[in-house]
Amino acid sequence: MSATVQQQSSSSSVSDQLAQLDAARSLVLGDAAYYPQIVQGILPIIGANARHELRRWGAEFLAETFASPTLAINTKEGLSLIVLDTVLAMLVLEEEKEKDTGVLKSVVQFAASVYPLVFRHTITNPNDAATWEKMNAIKTKILRLWDTAVPGVRICCIKFVQKVIQVQTPGTIADPRRPDQNEISLALVPRNHPLIPPPNLEAQASGLLDRLLNIFQENTGDAVLVNATLNCLGILVRTRPSVSNKILTAVLNFNPLKLANSPMTPKIKIMVKSMERTTRSFLLNVQKRNPGGPLVGRIQQHLDRLNQSRMDIFDEGSRKRVLPSEPTDGLDPSKRVRLGADLHGTPTPPLRLPPIPPLPMGPTSIAQLFTLTTDEELRNFDVQQLPIDLVVKITLPVLHRIDQRLLDEALNGIRTRYTALSREQQMSQSSTLQGFDDDDDDYEPDFQPAEDDEQILNKLDNAPPEDVRDQEPEVPLGPFKLPRPSPFTDDELEDVSQGTVVRVFEFMATLDEPSPTKRQKTGINRLAASNYDRDSWITVITRLATRASTSLDTVEDSVKTEDGNGTELRKFTISNKIRESLYIYILEDFRKRIDIAVGWLTEEWYNERMQMKVGNNTAFRYEKWAIKVLDGILPYLDAKDNRVFTRYLSELPDLSKELLERVKTLCLDPERVQLVITSLHYLVTLRPPARELCLDVLEDLWRNYDDARAAAAKILARWRPTVLQQKGPKNGVGPEMKVTRQADAGQNGITMVS
Amino acid sequence: MATDPRLARLAPHADTPPNPPPPPPPAEYSPNIQPVGGFDGAGDARDTRYPQGNETQDDGGFKLKFCTVCASNQNRSMEAHLRLSMAHYPVISFGTGSLVRLPGPTISQPNVYAFNTTSYDSMYKELDSKDPRLYRANGLLNMLERNRGVKWGPERWQDWRVGAPRLGNQRQQDKGSMGAEGGVVDVVITCEERCWDAVVDDLINRGSPLNRPVHIINVDIKDNHEEALVGGRAILDLADSLNEVARQERESKGADGWHDGTSASRSGFDERVPDILAEWQGRWPNLPALWTIAWF
Repeated sequence: MSATVQQQSSSSSVSDQLAQLDAARSLVLGDAAYYPQIVQGILPIIGANARHELRRWGAEFLAETFASPTLAINTKEGLSLIVLDTVLAMLVLEEEKEKDTGVLKSVVQFAASVYPLVFRHTITNPNDAATWEKMNAIKTKILRLWDTAVPGVRICCIKFVQKVIQVQTPGTIADPRRPDQNEISLALVPRNHPLIPPPNLEAQASGLLDRLLNIFQENTGDAVLVNATLNCLGILVRTRPSVSNKILTAVLNFNPLKLANSPMTPKIKIMVKSMERTTRSFLLNVQKRNPGGPLVGRIQQHLDRLNQSRMDIFDEGSRKRVLPSEPTDGLDPSKRVRLGADLHGTPTPPLRLPPIPPLPMGPTSIAQLFTLTTDEELRNFDVQQLPIDLVVKITLPVLHRIDQRLLDEALNGIRTRYTALSREQQMSQSSTLQGFDDDDDDYEPDFQPAEDDEQILNKLDNAPPEDVRDQEPEVPLGPFKLPRPSPFTDDELEDVSQGTVVRVFEFMATLDEPSPTKRQKTGINRLAASNYDRDSWITVITRLATRASTSLDTVEDSVKTEDGNGTELRKFTISNKIRESLYIYILEDFRKRIDIAVGWLTEEWYNERMQMKVGNNTAFRYEKWAIKVLDGILPYLDAKDNRVFTRYLSELPDLSKELLERVKTLCLDPERVQLVITSLHYLVTLRPPARELCLDVLEDLWRNYDDARAAAAKILARWRPTVLQQKGPKNGVGPEMKVTRQADAGQNGITMVS
Repeated sequence: MATDPRLARLAPHADTPPNPPPPPPPAEYSPNIQPVGGFDGAGDARDTRYPQGNETQDDGGFKLKFCTVCASNQNRSMEAHLRLSMAHYPVISFGTGSLVRLPGPTISQPNVYAFNTTSYDSMYKELDSKDPRLYRANGLLNMLERNRGVKWGPERWQDWRVGAPRLGNQRQQDKGSMGAEGGVVDVVITCEERCWDAVVDDLINRGSPLNRPVHIINVDIKDNHEEALVGGRAILDLADSLNEVARQERESKGADGWHDGTSASRSGFDERVPDILAEWQGRWPNLPALWTIAWF
C-alpha cells in the first residue's frame, strides 16, 4: 500500500494524490490496524518539501490519527517516534516561511496529543535523549507561537500548554501495580530521571500555568482565548489537585462582564454573554463534581453575583428595546401573563386618590392625625374591638394589593399634616414643652402609617378610645430625649446582676439536653457554641464568667484574694456570681455535670494563662474553684464514682499539691481508698507531667495511711521501687515482705521492657 | 457494562416522572396551523420549502463539519440536519435528553423511546398503528416521516464517542454523512440553552482528550414545527456565513498579513466567529444566540 502511494506521488497531480490520500484515510477509518502502515507511507509525501495542499492534508491527518480513540495508546506511542522529525520540520517551515494557519493548527493539535506519549516513552527509555529533544524543540516553537500567532492558532497553543501542564504536574496513581493503566503524569517519573527531572518539569508547568491563567487578569476581553482557556481547565481542576485551587481562584477573580462597560455593540454583547456563560458552566461543573470542595462557598457567591450583574446588564438592554422586537417572548406563557398584567395596569392612569381632609381645628389627637377618611361612622369605629388575628388577616392581603401610588399619596398627606403640626407647636409651645413619656412611646411612625393605609382602602377607621376620651394630651412633637438614668447604687447593681444571673440559669432549663446519640464529634475546628442546646449555653455561661469582665475587676479581685484567703469576696462582681451559680449548678448533679465543671475550669485556666501572657495582674481563680468544686463533691463521692472522680482529676488542666492533699483525705474512709488509688494510678500512668506529684502522694499514703498501704505499694513498686526498699512502713513486717517481692517483680518487668 | 436485568423492566417507568416536563409543543398544535405542505414530502426535492437550487449547488469546495443538537433529536435538530445536509454540509445530529420523548394522547402519557436503539421508522410504525389520526394531526407522523428519510434513528449526545469513525452501510445512508466520517465536527449548533449547557458541561467532563477546538453555538428555537422550520433556515444561513469565513482563511494561505495586516486580512476563522454571529443576529433578531469555543 505505502509503496504504491509513494510510487505514484512523484508522477501524478496534486489532486490525484489527494484523492489517493483520502482513500488511504478511508482505509484506516474503516480499520485502525492499517494506521502504522499508512502513517509511515504518507510521511514522505507530506514532508516539508511537499506541496502546500499535501502538507495541510498531512497535518490534519496526523492530528486526527493521534486523537483517534480507535487507535491503541501503545501503537500511538510507537508511531509518535516516527513522525516527530517530519512534524518538527513542518513546524519550522510554517513558523518561518509559510505561516499557514490550517497546518499550524493541526500541528499544534498533534503536538498536544503526542506530548504525553513521548513523555511516557521517555520515562521508560531514559537514554533516548534524541526523541525528547525533538519533542522539546516542538514545544519551544509552540510556546513561541502562543504569543505571536493568530488567535486560531493561539487557542490550539493554549490547549497544548494545558496538556503540558497536565502531564508535568503530579497526578494520582490509581493502581501502582499496573503502570499501563495509570494516567500519564509527573507522578510516574522516577526522581532521578536524567532527561526529565521532575522538579524542573513541575516548576516549568507551574510557570506555564501562571502564564495560562494570566488571561483572566489581563481581562483583554478576547472571548475566543478566554473561552478556549476556560473550557480546557476542567480536567486540570479535576485531576490535578495541587493546582486546582490556583485555577479556581484565578477564575473567581475574573470578571467576564467587565467588557460590558464599553459601548455594547452586537459583537461585544455576544462576547460578554459568551464569556459569562462559559465561566458559569465551568464553575457549575466544578461545583457539581466536588460539592464539598473548599471553594464551593465562594463559587456559589460568584455565580450569584454573575447572575445579578448579567441581569442588570442584559435586562437593561431588553428594557430599552421596543416591545415588538421580542415576539418570541410573547409565546412564553409566563411572559404573556406579565405583559397582560402591565397592559391591564396602563389603561387606568388617573387614579382616584381620596383627598386628604384638613385637620380639625384646636388640639389634635393622634387618632385625628392619622385619620384620612371623612366617613363619620368609620371615624367612630374602634378597631380595637376586632380580635388581633382578624386584623392581621385583613391587613396583610390589603398591604399586598395596595396601589403604591395610593400609599405614597396617603403617606405624604400624613407627613404634611405632621410637619405642619410640629411647626405650629414649636411656635406656640416653645416655652411649655414637656415630655409625655407614655404617649411618646406609643408613637411609632414606621408602623402606624402602614396600618392606616390599610384603613384607607378598607374604609375602616382607627380611633383608639382613650385618645378620643382625653383630648388634652396633644400630640407631643419635636425631638424628645430621655434623661440619663441615675447610676445604680451598689445594692441595686447587685440586685440587678443577681436577677440577670438567675435568668441566665433559668434559661438553661428550657433548653434541650443534647442527646448523647445525636452528639457528633465535631473536631477541633468547631465553633464553641454553634448549636442551640444546653451545651452551647453552658459554653456561653462559662465564658461570661471567665472572660466577660476580665480586665475590669482583676486587680481588685487579686487584692481581695490576698486579704480574704480565697474566701467569699466581700465585693460583689457579676462574674463571681456566675461562678457561684455554676458551682451550685454542678453540685446539684455532679455525676452528670462533671464535664461542665471540667469545661468551666479549663476556661478559667485558659483565661488566666492568656491574662498572664498579656501581663495583666490576674487573680488565681482556677485553683480556688477547682479545689472548691472538689471540696463540694468529696463528701458525696462513693466507691462507685470511680469514673467521675478519675475524669475530674485527669481532665483538669493543672493539678496542684493542695488539690491532691484534699484527695488524700478520702483515704481516711476505707471504702473509698480504691477510688483514690485508681485515680492516682490513672494519673501516674497516663499523665506524665503530674506523675511525680502523684507518686509523692502515693508515697505519703503508703507511709501514713494504713488502709491505702497495700494498694499504694503496688503502684510504687512499678514506679518508685526505691521507696519501698528504703524503709518499711511504721508497723508490720508482712506487708513489707510482700511489697518487696512485688517490687522485684516490678523491676523485672521494667528490665524486661527496657 | 453489566446492567441489572431487574432494572430493565423498570427503566421506562423510572425515567418517566409522574409529572413529566412538557413534551415538545406539537401536542398544542391545532391542525389548522399545520404547514400546508405537511412533512411527508420533507425529503422530497419537489417540496417547495426546500428550493431545488440547494440540492444541486454543491461546489465541492471546503466545507465546515456541523452537528445539530436538540433535546430529543427529533424536531429542531433534525430539521436543521436536513437543511444542512441538503446544502451538502457534512452534518450529524444528537439529542441531549435522557430519553426520546414524543407527545402522547395526553400531556402525562408521552411516548418514550430509548436513544441509539430505536429507529425513526419503528417509531413511525408504532404511532401509526396506535392512533394515526391523532399523530397525523399533531404533526408527529409527518415529522418522523421526514426524520426516517434523513437518518436511521435518534442519537444521544452523551453517548457519542467523539472521533470514532462513522462508517458502515447504515451510516453512509444518513444524509450529511459524507465528510463526517472522521467522527468530529467543527461547529455544534444547539437549539436550546439547556442543550447548550448540557453540551458544554459534557465536553468539560470528557476532559478534551482530542485537543480539537469546536465552536458551540446555541440558536434558541421554540420546539414546534413552525419555529423549527424558521430555525432551520436561520441555521443554514449561519452555517453559510461561517463556512464562507472558514473558506477565506483556508484560501488566504496565511503568509500575507500575519504580523502587519489589518484586522480583516489578519483574523482567521475562529476569532471572527463572534463577528459572524453578531451580523447573523442582526438578520435573525428573534433567535437569541449564544456561543463558546470548547474542546473535543
